[in-house]
Amino acid sequence: MAHSRVTQWATMTRTWWIYDANYQCPFKTAYRLLPYLQGLNKPVYHSDSDVGDHVVVFNTKHIAMRGDFWRTFKHFHHTKFAGGFSRASAWRVHEMDPTRILERAVYSCLAGVETRKMMMKRLHLYPEEDVPEKILENVTGQIRQVQIVPKKLTDYSQEEIDKFPKLFEYPEDYDVEGYKRENRQEPDQHTSMKWRLK
Amino acid sequence: MTKNLIPQDFLKNVLQNGVGRYVCQLQRITFRFCKSHGASRHMRDFIENHLLGFSQKNPGVAVYLQPRRHRAPSIVAEYLNGYREVLFLSDKQPSEICKWTEHLRTRSGVQIVKMINNIHTETPSTQGIWHPFMFTDTEWAVTKFPNKKLSSVLKTGKTATDIILDEQTEALTEGVKHCQINNK
Repeated sequence: MAHSRVTQWATMTRTWWIYDANYQCPFKTAYRLLPYLQGLNKPVYHSDSDVGDHVVVFNTKHIAMRGDFWRTFKHFHHTKFAGGFSRASAWRVHEMDPTRILERAVYSCLAGVETRKMMMKRLHLYPEEDVPEKILENVTGQIRQVQIVPKKLTDYSQEEIDKFPKLFEYPEDYDVEGYKRENRQEPDQHTSMKWRLK
Repeated sequence: MTKNLIPQDFLKNVLQNGVGRYVCQLQRITFRFCKSHGASRHMRDFIENHLLGFSQKNPGVAVYLQPRRHRAPSIVAEYLNGYREVLFLSDKQPSEICKWTEHLRTRSGVQIVKMINNIHTETPSTQGIWHPFMFTDTEWAVTKFPNKKLSSVLKTGKTATDIILDEQTEALTEGVKHCQINNK
Protein backbone atom coordinates (compact mmCIF):
# COMPACT_ATOMS: atom_id res chain seq x y z
CA MET A 1 0.00 0.00 0.00
CA ALA A 2 1.35 3.31 -1.05
CA HIS A 3 -0.26 5.29 1.75
CA SER A 4 0.56 2.90 4.62
CA ARG A 5 3.35 5.18 5.74
CA VAL A 6 0.90 8.02 6.16
CA THR A 7 -1.67 5.91 8.00
CA GLN A 8 1.07 4.96 10.41
CA TRP A 9 1.61 8.63 11.18
CA ALA A 10 -2.05 8.79 12.10
CA THR A 11 -1.70 5.75 14.35
CA MET A 12 1.25 7.13 16.27
CA THR A 13 0.04 10.73 16.43
CA ARG A 14 -0.49 12.37 19.79
CA THR A 15 -3.98 13.73 20.31
CA TRP A 16 -4.95 16.43 22.77
CA TRP A 17 -7.60 16.02 25.45
CA ILE A 18 -9.21 18.61 27.65
CA TYR A 19 -10.49 18.23 31.19
CA ASP A 20 -12.52 20.62 33.36
CA ALA A 21 -11.27 20.42 36.97
CA ASN A 22 -14.08 22.58 38.34
CA TYR A 23 -15.26 21.04 41.66
CA GLN A 24 -13.32 17.84 40.98
CA CYS A 25 -11.32 15.79 43.47
CA PRO A 26 -7.62 16.08 42.47
CA PHE A 27 -6.82 12.50 43.48
CA LYS A 28 -9.69 10.91 41.58
CA THR A 29 -8.91 13.24 38.69
CA ALA A 30 -5.30 12.04 38.63
CA TYR A 31 -6.48 8.45 38.18
CA ARG A 32 -8.87 9.56 35.45
CA LEU A 33 -6.09 11.34 33.52
CA LEU A 34 -3.54 8.52 33.81
CA PRO A 35 -4.67 6.32 30.88
CA TYR A 36 -4.68 9.34 28.55
CA LEU A 37 -1.17 10.43 29.59
CA GLN A 38 0.21 6.92 29.29
CA GLY A 39 -1.69 6.00 26.13
CA LEU A 40 -3.44 3.09 27.84
CA ASN A 41 -6.61 3.95 25.93
CA LYS A 42 -4.94 2.99 22.65
CA PRO A 43 -4.76 -0.52 21.19
CA VAL A 44 -1.14 0.18 20.15
CA TYR A 45 -0.09 0.74 23.78
CA HIS A 46 3.08 -0.87 25.03
CA SER A 47 4.91 0.07 28.22
CA ASP A 48 8.19 0.47 26.31
CA SER A 49 6.78 2.74 23.64
CA ASP A 50 5.95 6.34 24.39
CA VAL A 51 2.43 6.74 22.99
CA GLY A 52 0.79 9.00 25.58
CA ASP A 53 -1.46 11.92 24.70
CA HIS A 54 -1.45 15.56 25.77
CA VAL A 55 -3.95 16.49 28.45
CA VAL A 56 -5.04 20.08 29.03
CA VAL A 57 -6.61 20.74 32.42
CA PHE A 58 -8.28 24.04 33.21
CA ASN A 59 -10.03 25.42 36.32
CA THR A 60 -7.40 23.83 38.57
CA LYS A 61 -7.91 26.70 40.99
CA HIS A 62 -11.45 25.48 41.57
CA ILE A 63 -10.74 21.87 42.52
CA ALA A 64 -12.60 20.38 45.48
CA MET A 65 -10.99 18.39 48.30
CA ARG A 66 -12.81 15.75 50.26
CA GLY A 67 -13.46 16.14 54.00
CA ASP A 68 -10.99 18.33 55.87
CA PHE A 69 -8.21 17.73 53.36
CA TRP A 70 -7.54 21.38 52.64
CA ARG A 71 -6.20 21.56 56.20
CA THR A 72 -4.98 18.03 56.83
CA PHE A 73 -3.43 17.03 53.52
CA LYS A 74 0.27 17.94 53.52
CA HIS A 75 2.86 18.52 50.88
CA PHE A 76 6.42 17.72 51.93
CA HIS A 77 9.74 18.82 50.55
CA HIS A 78 13.38 18.51 51.53
CA THR A 79 16.13 20.56 49.93
CA LYS A 80 18.70 17.93 51.10
CA PHE A 81 20.50 20.63 53.05
CA ALA A 82 20.46 20.66 56.84
CA GLY A 83 17.16 22.03 58.07
CA GLY A 84 15.84 21.99 54.55
CA PHE A 85 12.62 20.18 55.39
CA SER A 86 9.38 21.99 54.86
CA ARG A 87 5.77 21.02 54.77
CA ALA A 88 2.62 22.89 54.01
CA SER A 89 -1.08 22.21 54.11
CA ALA A 90 -2.97 21.86 50.89
CA TRP A 91 -4.66 25.24 51.21
CA ARG A 92 -1.33 26.99 51.58
CA VAL A 93 0.17 25.14 48.62
CA HIS A 94 -2.93 25.99 46.62
CA GLU A 95 -2.57 29.63 47.56
CA MET A 96 1.03 29.58 46.42
CA ASP A 97 0.41 27.79 43.12
CA PRO A 98 -3.13 26.85 42.12
CA THR A 99 -1.94 24.14 39.72
CA ARG A 100 0.44 22.42 42.09
CA ILE A 101 -1.93 20.11 43.97
CA LEU A 102 -3.25 18.52 40.81
CA GLU A 103 0.24 18.33 39.33
CA ARG A 104 1.61 16.55 42.40
CA ALA A 105 -1.39 14.21 42.50
CA VAL A 106 -0.77 13.10 38.92
CA TYR A 107 2.98 12.94 39.50
CA SER A 108 2.61 10.62 42.48
CA CYS A 109 0.13 8.50 40.56
CA LEU A 110 2.79 7.89 37.92
CA ALA A 111 5.26 6.49 40.49
CA GLY A 112 7.31 3.68 39.00
CA VAL A 113 6.63 4.70 35.40
CA GLU A 114 9.92 5.25 33.61
CA THR A 115 8.60 7.96 31.28
CA ARG A 116 6.96 9.93 34.08
CA LYS A 117 8.79 13.19 33.44
CA MET A 118 7.95 13.14 29.76
CA MET A 119 4.31 12.50 30.61
CA MET A 120 4.27 15.38 33.07
CA LYS A 121 5.49 17.64 30.29
CA ARG A 122 2.41 16.65 28.31
CA LEU A 123 0.12 17.67 31.14
CA HIS A 124 -0.87 21.31 30.67
CA LEU A 125 -2.45 22.90 33.73
CA TYR A 126 -4.30 26.22 33.77
CA PRO A 127 -5.73 27.72 36.95
CA GLU A 128 -8.64 29.44 35.23
CA GLU A 129 -10.76 28.94 32.15
CA ASP A 130 -8.55 31.06 29.91
CA VAL A 131 -6.62 28.39 28.05
CA PRO A 132 -4.45 29.91 25.30
CA GLU A 133 -5.97 29.67 21.85
CA LYS A 134 -2.83 28.00 20.55
CA ILE A 135 -3.32 25.12 22.99
CA LEU A 136 -7.07 24.97 22.57
CA GLU A 137 -6.94 24.58 18.80
CA ASN A 138 -5.17 21.22 19.17
CA VAL A 139 -7.85 19.70 21.39
CA THR A 140 -9.91 16.95 19.80
CA GLY A 141 -11.53 15.27 22.77
CA GLN A 142 -12.97 15.85 26.19
CA ILE A 143 -12.36 13.74 29.27
CA ARG A 144 -15.42 13.24 31.41
CA GLN A 145 -15.33 14.61 34.96
CA VAL A 146 -15.11 12.31 37.99
CA GLN A 147 -17.85 13.81 40.11
CA ILE A 148 -21.01 15.85 39.73
CA VAL A 149 -20.51 19.61 39.94
CA PRO A 150 -22.73 20.66 42.85
CA LYS A 151 -25.29 23.39 42.40
CA LYS A 152 -24.59 26.12 44.92
CA LEU A 153 -27.21 27.95 46.93
CA THR A 154 -26.44 31.09 44.96
CA ASP A 155 -27.28 29.24 41.73
CA TYR A 156 -30.88 28.70 42.86
CA SER A 157 -33.43 31.46 42.43
CA GLN A 158 -35.25 32.75 45.49
CA GLU A 159 -38.45 31.21 44.13
CA GLU A 160 -36.87 27.75 44.00
CA ILE A 161 -35.53 28.12 47.51
CA ASP A 162 -38.93 29.11 48.84
CA LYS A 163 -40.60 26.24 46.99
CA PHE A 164 -38.27 23.60 48.39
CA PRO A 165 -40.09 21.41 50.95
CA LYS A 166 -39.24 22.17 54.55
CA LEU A 167 -38.48 18.82 56.08
CA PHE A 168 -38.02 19.93 59.68
CA GLU A 169 -38.11 22.97 61.89
CA TYR A 170 -34.83 24.39 63.09
CA PRO A 171 -34.42 24.59 66.86
CA GLU A 172 -34.91 28.10 68.20
CA ASP A 173 -31.26 28.51 69.15
CA TYR A 174 -29.95 27.26 65.77
CA ASP A 175 -27.56 29.61 63.99
CA VAL A 176 -29.28 29.91 60.62
CA GLU A 177 -27.30 32.91 59.38
CA GLY A 178 -23.92 31.39 60.30
CA TYR A 179 -22.84 30.66 56.74
CA LYS A 180 -23.00 34.31 55.85
CA ARG A 181 -20.32 35.30 58.36
CA GLU A 182 -16.56 35.05 57.88
CA ASN A 183 -14.99 31.65 58.46
CA ARG A 184 -13.28 31.76 61.83
CA GLN A 185 -11.82 28.27 61.99
CA GLU A 186 -8.74 27.87 64.13
CA PRO A 187 -5.52 28.47 62.21
CA ASP A 188 -3.59 25.56 60.79
CA GLN A 189 -1.12 24.36 63.42
CA HIS A 190 0.73 21.86 61.30
CA THR A 191 2.34 24.08 58.70
CA SER A 192 5.94 25.03 59.41
CA MET A 193 6.36 28.79 59.47
CA LYS A 194 9.37 28.86 57.17
CA TRP A 195 7.76 26.85 54.38
CA ARG A 196 9.68 26.94 51.15
CA LEU A 197 8.22 24.16 49.04
CA LYS A 198 9.69 24.06 45.61
CA MET B 1 18.20 7.24 29.60
CA THR B 2 20.21 4.02 29.65
CA LYS B 3 18.23 2.67 26.74
CA ASN B 4 19.52 5.42 24.46
CA LEU B 5 23.16 5.16 25.56
CA ILE B 6 23.60 1.60 24.31
CA PRO B 7 24.32 1.76 20.57
CA GLN B 8 21.73 0.00 18.45
CA ASP B 9 21.95 -1.12 14.85
CA PHE B 10 20.54 -3.58 12.37
CA LEU B 11 22.16 -7.02 12.06
CA LYS B 12 25.48 -6.69 10.23
CA ASN B 13 28.19 -9.10 9.15
CA VAL B 14 31.18 -9.29 6.82
CA LEU B 15 29.43 -10.37 3.65
CA GLN B 16 30.40 -13.55 1.82
CA ASN B 17 33.09 -14.46 4.35
CA GLY B 18 33.33 -18.24 4.12
CA VAL B 19 31.62 -18.55 0.74
CA GLY B 20 34.92 -19.17 -1.09
CA ARG B 21 37.24 -19.47 1.85
CA TYR B 22 37.19 -18.16 5.40
CA VAL B 23 39.27 -15.05 6.07
CA CYS B 24 40.16 -14.44 9.71
CA GLN B 25 38.99 -10.89 10.41
CA LEU B 26 41.40 -10.43 13.29
CA GLN B 27 44.55 -8.86 11.85
CA ARG B 28 46.59 -7.79 14.81
CA ILE B 29 46.48 -8.69 18.49
CA THR B 30 48.57 -6.83 21.06
CA PHE B 31 49.15 -8.18 24.55
CA ARG B 32 49.97 -5.34 26.90
CA PHE B 33 51.37 -6.20 30.30
CA CYS B 34 53.74 -5.13 33.05
CA LYS B 35 56.94 -7.06 33.71
CA SER B 36 56.88 -6.50 37.46
CA HIS B 37 53.33 -5.85 38.59
CA GLY B 38 51.22 -8.56 40.22
CA ALA B 39 48.14 -7.86 38.15
CA SER B 40 50.00 -9.02 35.03
CA ARG B 41 51.20 -12.23 36.67
CA HIS B 42 48.82 -14.50 34.79
CA MET B 43 49.29 -12.56 31.57
CA ARG B 44 53.06 -13.23 31.79
CA ASP B 45 52.27 -16.88 32.49
CA PHE B 46 50.02 -16.96 29.41
CA ILE B 47 52.73 -15.42 27.24
CA GLU B 48 55.27 -18.00 28.43
CA ASN B 49 53.11 -21.07 28.01
CA HIS B 50 50.25 -20.46 25.53
CA LEU B 51 51.09 -17.59 23.20
CA LEU B 52 53.50 -19.49 20.96
CA GLY B 53 50.87 -22.15 20.30
CA PHE B 54 48.35 -19.44 19.42
CA SER B 55 50.65 -17.69 16.94
CA GLN B 56 51.66 -20.99 15.33
CA LYS B 57 48.03 -21.98 14.85
CA ASN B 58 47.11 -18.57 13.44
CA PRO B 59 49.84 -17.39 11.08
CA GLY B 60 47.47 -14.75 9.61
CA VAL B 61 47.32 -12.81 12.88
CA ALA B 62 50.14 -10.47 13.78
CA VAL B 63 50.94 -10.87 17.47
CA TYR B 64 52.51 -7.98 19.33
CA LEU B 65 53.82 -7.88 22.88
CA GLN B 66 53.93 -4.52 24.57
CA PRO B 67 55.42 -4.30 28.05
CA ARG B 68 54.17 -1.20 29.85
CA ARG B 69 55.43 -0.31 33.29
CA HIS B 70 52.85 -0.44 36.10
CA ARG B 71 49.83 -0.61 33.86
CA ALA B 72 46.99 -3.09 33.91
CA PRO B 73 47.29 -5.98 31.43
CA SER B 74 45.07 -5.82 28.40
CA ILE B 75 44.51 -7.24 24.94
CA VAL B 76 43.99 -5.01 21.92
CA ALA B 77 42.43 -6.63 18.89
CA GLU B 78 42.41 -4.89 15.52
CA TYR B 79 40.18 -6.12 12.71
CA LEU B 80 40.10 -5.94 8.97
CA ASN B 81 37.33 -3.37 8.98
CA GLY B 82 39.38 -1.05 11.18
CA TYR B 83 37.53 -1.79 14.39
CA ARG B 84 39.64 -1.87 17.54
CA GLU B 85 38.61 -3.63 20.71
CA VAL B 86 40.41 -3.39 24.07
CA LEU B 87 39.93 -5.91 26.90
CA PHE B 88 41.41 -5.31 30.34
CA LEU B 89 42.35 -8.58 32.03
CA SER B 90 43.79 -7.80 35.46
CA ASP B 91 44.25 -10.85 37.68
CA LYS B 92 42.66 -13.15 35.10
CA GLN B 93 43.81 -16.78 34.96
CA PRO B 94 45.70 -17.99 31.83
CA SER B 95 42.73 -20.20 30.94
CA GLU B 96 40.48 -17.16 30.89
CA ILE B 97 42.98 -15.14 28.85
CA CYS B 98 43.02 -18.07 26.37
CA LYS B 99 39.24 -17.90 26.20
CA TRP B 100 39.15 -14.13 25.54
CA THR B 101 41.93 -14.43 22.93
CA GLU B 102 39.86 -17.08 21.16
CA HIS B 103 36.80 -14.89 21.45
CA LEU B 104 38.57 -11.96 19.81
CA ARG B 105 40.01 -14.22 17.07
CA THR B 106 36.63 -15.60 16.05
CA ARG B 107 34.82 -12.29 16.00
CA SER B 108 33.87 -10.56 12.75
CA GLY B 109 35.05 -7.16 13.90
CA VAL B 110 31.58 -5.72 13.90
CA GLN B 111 30.81 -3.76 17.03
CA ILE B 112 28.50 -5.51 19.46
CA VAL B 113 25.31 -3.47 19.65
CA LYS B 114 21.73 -3.88 20.69
CA MET B 115 20.08 -5.50 17.70
CA ILE B 116 17.07 -3.83 16.15
CA ASN B 117 14.94 -4.92 13.24
CA ASN B 118 12.19 -3.43 11.14
CA ILE B 119 8.79 -4.74 12.09
CA HIS B 120 6.46 -5.47 9.21
CA THR B 121 3.69 -7.85 8.36
CA GLU B 122 2.98 -9.96 5.30
CA THR B 123 -0.71 -9.93 6.18
CA PRO B 124 -1.79 -6.32 6.73
CA SER B 125 -5.14 -5.68 8.38
CA THR B 126 -8.05 -5.67 5.94
CA GLN B 127 -9.97 -3.37 8.26
CA GLY B 128 -7.22 -0.75 8.14
CA ILE B 129 -4.91 0.09 11.01
CA TRP B 130 -6.20 1.89 14.06
CA HIS B 131 -5.94 5.65 14.43
CA PRO B 132 -7.03 7.90 17.30
CA PHE B 133 -10.28 8.99 15.64
CA MET B 134 -11.45 5.52 14.65
CA PHE B 135 -14.07 4.81 17.32
CA THR B 136 -14.82 8.36 18.41
CA ASP B 137 -18.25 9.89 18.02
CA THR B 138 -18.49 11.68 14.67
CA GLU B 139 -20.18 14.54 16.48
CA TRP B 140 -16.83 15.38 18.08
CA ALA B 141 -15.53 16.52 14.70
CA VAL B 142 -17.83 19.55 14.76
CA THR B 143 -17.81 20.14 18.54
CA LYS B 144 -16.01 23.11 20.01
CA PHE B 145 -13.95 22.12 23.02
CA PRO B 146 -14.26 22.48 25.99
CA ASN B 147 -17.80 21.20 25.85
CA LYS B 148 -20.02 21.09 28.94
CA LYS B 149 -22.17 18.24 27.72
CA LEU B 150 -19.21 15.93 27.10
CA SER B 151 -17.58 17.01 30.34
CA SER B 152 -20.28 16.51 32.96
CA VAL B 153 -20.74 13.19 34.70
CA LEU B 154 -23.48 11.00 33.25
CA LYS B 155 -26.15 11.04 35.89
CA THR B 156 -27.37 7.61 36.97
CA GLY B 157 -30.17 7.18 39.45
CA LYS B 158 -31.61 9.84 41.70
CA THR B 159 -29.95 12.03 44.26
CA ALA B 160 -31.43 12.58 47.72
CA THR B 161 -32.64 16.00 46.57
CA ASP B 162 -34.40 14.46 43.57
CA ILE B 163 -36.15 11.92 45.78
CA ILE B 164 -37.39 14.63 48.14
CA LEU B 165 -38.65 16.77 45.27
CA ASP B 166 -40.42 13.75 43.72
CA GLU B 167 -42.07 12.97 47.01
CA GLN B 168 -43.17 16.56 47.25
CA THR B 169 -44.74 16.59 43.80
CA GLU B 170 -46.42 13.27 44.54
CA ALA B 171 -47.79 14.60 47.79
CA LEU B 172 -49.02 17.74 46.05
CA THR B 173 -50.82 15.83 43.30
CA GLU B 174 -52.36 13.50 45.87
CA GLY B 175 -53.38 16.53 47.89
CA VAL B 176 -55.00 18.02 44.80
CA LYS B 177 -56.82 14.74 44.17
CA HIS B 178 -57.89 14.63 47.80
CA CYS B 179 -59.22 18.15 47.53
CA GLN B 180 -61.08 17.32 44.34
CA ILE B 181 -62.71 14.30 46.01
CA ASN B 182 -63.68 16.42 49.00
CA ASN B 183 -65.13 19.06 46.70
CA LYS B 184 -67.27 16.46 44.99
